[in-house]
Amino acid sequence: MSLVTEPLSDDAVVTWPEQAQAVNPNVVLLLAMVPGLAHLTVLRDRLKGAAYLLATAIFVYFMVVHGGGAIYNLIFLGEPQPDIPIRERDNSLFMLIDGVMILAVILIFVALYIISIRSALKTAREINIRGYLSRTDKRISNVADRAFPVLGLTPTFIMIAFFVVVPLVFSALVAFTNYSRPHHIPPSNPIDWVGFDNFAQLFGGDHLWSGAVVRVFIWTIAWAFLATATCYIGGMLMAVVLKNSRLRITPFFRAIFILPYAVPGVVSLIVWRNMLNGAFGTLNRTLEWLPFFPDVVNTPWLTDPWMARFTMVMINLWLGFPYFMLLVTGTMTSIPAEHIEAARMDGASDWQVFRKIQMPQIVFQTMPLVIMSFAHNVNNFGAVFFLTGGGPNMPDSTTTGAGATDLMVSWIFNLTVNLQQYHQAGVLAIMIFLIIAPFAIFNFRQTKSFKEGEI
Amino acid sequence: MTPKEIARSRRNQRVNTVFITILLLIVTFIVLWPLTHVVAAAFTPGSSVANLPVIPFTAGVTTDHFVELLTETHYLRWFRNSFLVAIATTTGTLVFASLGAYVFSRFKFTFKKSFMLAMLILNVFPAFVGMVAIYVILLRIGGLDTLWGLMLVYLAGNLPFTTWMVKSYMDNVPRELDEAARIDGASSFRIWLTVIVPICKPILVFLGITSFVMPWMDFIFPRMVLRSPENQTLALGLFSFVTDRNNNFTTFAAGAIIVAVPFIIFFVFTQKMLVSSLAGAAVKG
Repeated sequence: MSLVTEPLSDDAVVTWPEQAQAVNPNVVLLLAMVPGLAHLTVLRDRLKGAAYLLATAIFVYFMVVHGGGAIYNLIFLGEPQPDIPIRERDNSLFMLIDGVMILAVILIFVALYIISIRSALKTAREINIRGYLSRTDKRISNVADRAFPVLGLTPTFIMIAFFVVVPLVFSALVAFTNYSRPHHIPPSNPIDWVGFDNFAQLFGGDHLWSGAVVRVFIWTIAWAFLATATCYIGGMLMAVVLKNSRLRITPFFRAIFILPYAVPGVVSLIVWRNMLNGAFGTLNRTLEWLPFFPDVVNTPWLTDPWMARFTMVMINLWLGFPYFMLLVTGTMTSIPAEHIEAARMDGASDWQVFRKIQMPQIVFQTMPLVIMSFAHNVNNFGAVFFLTGGGPNMPDSTTTGAGATDLMVSWIFNLTVNLQQYHQAGVLAIMIFLIIAPFAIFNFRQTKSFKEGEI
Repeated sequence: MTPKEIARSRRNQRVNTVFITILLLIVTFIVLWPLTHVVAAAFTPGSSVANLPVIPFTAGVTTDHFVELLTETHYLRWFRNSFLVAIATTTGTLVFASLGAYVFSRFKFTFKKSFMLAMLILNVFPAFVGMVAIYVILLRIGGLDTLWGLMLVYLAGNLPFTTWMVKSYMDNVPRELDEAARIDGASSFRIWLTVIVPICKPILVFLGITSFVMPWMDFIFPRMVLRSPENQTLALGLFSFVTDRNNNFTTFAAGAIIVAVPFIIFFVFTQKMLVSSLAGAAVKG
C-alpha cells in the first residue's frame, strides 16, 4: 500500500538512460569510403563487406592493368603507322569498343560504390534503432536469401550492359568519328574523332546527304503513323464486326483472319514481294488475265516510289491487322454486357453502341500498345528489307544508299553493311533515339506502378 | 415500337448482315489469296514465280520440291540449328526475365527507377544498330560462327522487353500471396519458383511464343554471326532460294510451308489464350 502512495523518486522517472548510439554514422561514412570496410568492421556484416571489398579489389586491379591504356586509346584511337604490316597496326575499332567497355565497367563500379555507401548508412541507422541483427538472421540460408535480388538481377544486368548498351553507345560514339570507307577503315588506317562534322554534313553541309536525311526522316514518321493507324483501324473494324455480327460462323472467319499473324512475317513479306513483282508477279499476271482491266499492264507495285510506299502500307495492313483484331477482341470482353444491353433497350443502333460504349473503352485500354506499335513501326526493318529492299532508287541513292522506301533503320543497315559509312549510320542512330525516347518515357510515366509511386 | 418500325429495323438488320457478310468475304479472299498461292507453288512443277499459274493448282501437282529440300539441301540441318537457337533463347529469356521481373516487382534497391527507364528505352532499339560492336565483342569471346554466340545476342536483346512485360504483370499479382509464403518460411528463390512463376504463366507463355518466333525467322544476325555452311539457319537457307539472281520460289514455298504450318496450327488453336494474354498486356501495361 505504502509503495503505491509513495511519491515516485527521481530515479524511477529516468528509466530511459541516454542510450549511446551503437555505431557513429560519421565513422560509418568515413569507413564506407572504401566499399566493404564499414560492413566488415563496425556494422558486423562480414559477408556483404567481403563481397564489396572483393569487387573493389578486382576493379582496382583491372583498372591498373587494363584501364589506363584503354582510356588513353579511347581518347587518341591510335596513330597512323604506314610503315609496319597491317596486322600489327593500331586497330582503332577495337580501341573504341574496348574503351566503351571500360567506361561501362567504371560506371558499374561507381554505381556499386554509391550502393555500398547507401547500404552502410542504412544498416547503421537500423542498428541504432533495433540493435545488431540476431544470430538467427545470419544463418547461411539467410545470407543466400538476402543475396537473392543481386544474384537474380546480375545475369540480366551484365548481358544487357555488354550486348545492348555497349553496342548502342559505341554506335552513338561513332557518329563523332570518321569511321568510313574508303580512308578510315581499321586496321589499315586509324579512326579519328571529328566532333560534329558528320552532323554538319548530314544537316545542311552536303546537299545530297541532307536531302536524303529529310526525305527518309519524313517518310519514317509518315510510315510509322500510317502503318499504325491502318492496322489499328482495320483490326478494330474486324474485331467489332465479328463481335457484333449475328452470323454463326464468326469463329471460322476469326480463324482465317488470324493467319497473317501466325505465318512468320519474313515468309509473308518474301511471298508478297514475289507476288507483286512488276514483270512476272502473280498479281500483275492475274490482273491482265481478268477481263475487267484490259488496259492494265505491269503495274509497278514496288518500282515506282509513291506506288511502292503505298504498297508497303497496304501489305503491312495485311500483316498487322490480326494483332490489333486479337487485342481489341480481348479488351471488348472486359466491357460489361449489361451496358450494351441497356443501350440496345434504349434503342441504340449498332453504330451508336460502338461509337458511344465500345470505342471509348477500347481506345482507352489499348493506347499504350498503340504507342508501342508506333515505336515498333519507326524501327520496322523487316517491312522494308524483305518487301522493297529500300528501293526503288532515288537520284541520290548511289551516294547515300537511301532508297524511296527506306526507313531510318534500314538506311542504317545499308550504310553499315553495304556502304560501310559507319559514321553517318551513327548519326542516324542518335536521331532514332531522339524520336523514340519521348514515346518510351511517356509510356513509362503512364504505367500503373509509376503512377502509384512504387518506383 | 409500331409494327412498321419493327419491320424497318428488321430490314435494316438484314441489309446489315448482307453488308457484313460481303465485307467478311472480301477480307477472307484478300487474306487467303497469297497464302493459297504459296501452298499451290509448293506443289507446282517448275521453279520461278513467273511460271506459276494465275489460278492455283492448275499446272499439275508434284512433291518434287519437298524431296529436293530434304535430299539436295541442308534443310534438316538448318531446321535443327534454328530450333536449338530458338529453344535456348526462349528458355533463357523466360528464366532470366521472370527472375529479374520478380526482383524489380518485389524488392526495393538503389537505381531501380533509372534501370527500369533504361530498359524501356532500350526496348525500342533494333539490336542491329550496334552490330559492329556486337561483332567485335563476339570475336573477343570466341562466339563468332557459333550457335551459342547467336543465342547470347538474342537473349540479351530480348531481356529488356520481356523483363518489363513480366514485371508489369507481376505488379498486379497481390503481394499477400508471396508474403504468406514468406511467413511460412519460404526463401525468395522458393517463392519465385513455386508462387510467382505459376501465377505468371499466362504472360510467360505469351512471351515464350514471341521470343521463340523472333530467332526462328531472324535473318540479320545469323548472316552476320554464322559463316560456315553447317551452321546456317532456316531463314538464311530459305532466303537463299529467292535472291534477285536466283528465283527458286517453289522450293522456297515448300520450305516455308514446313516452317509455317506448326505455327498456324498453334495460333489457331490457342487464339482464345492469345486474346486474353494480349488483353492482359494491354490492361496491365
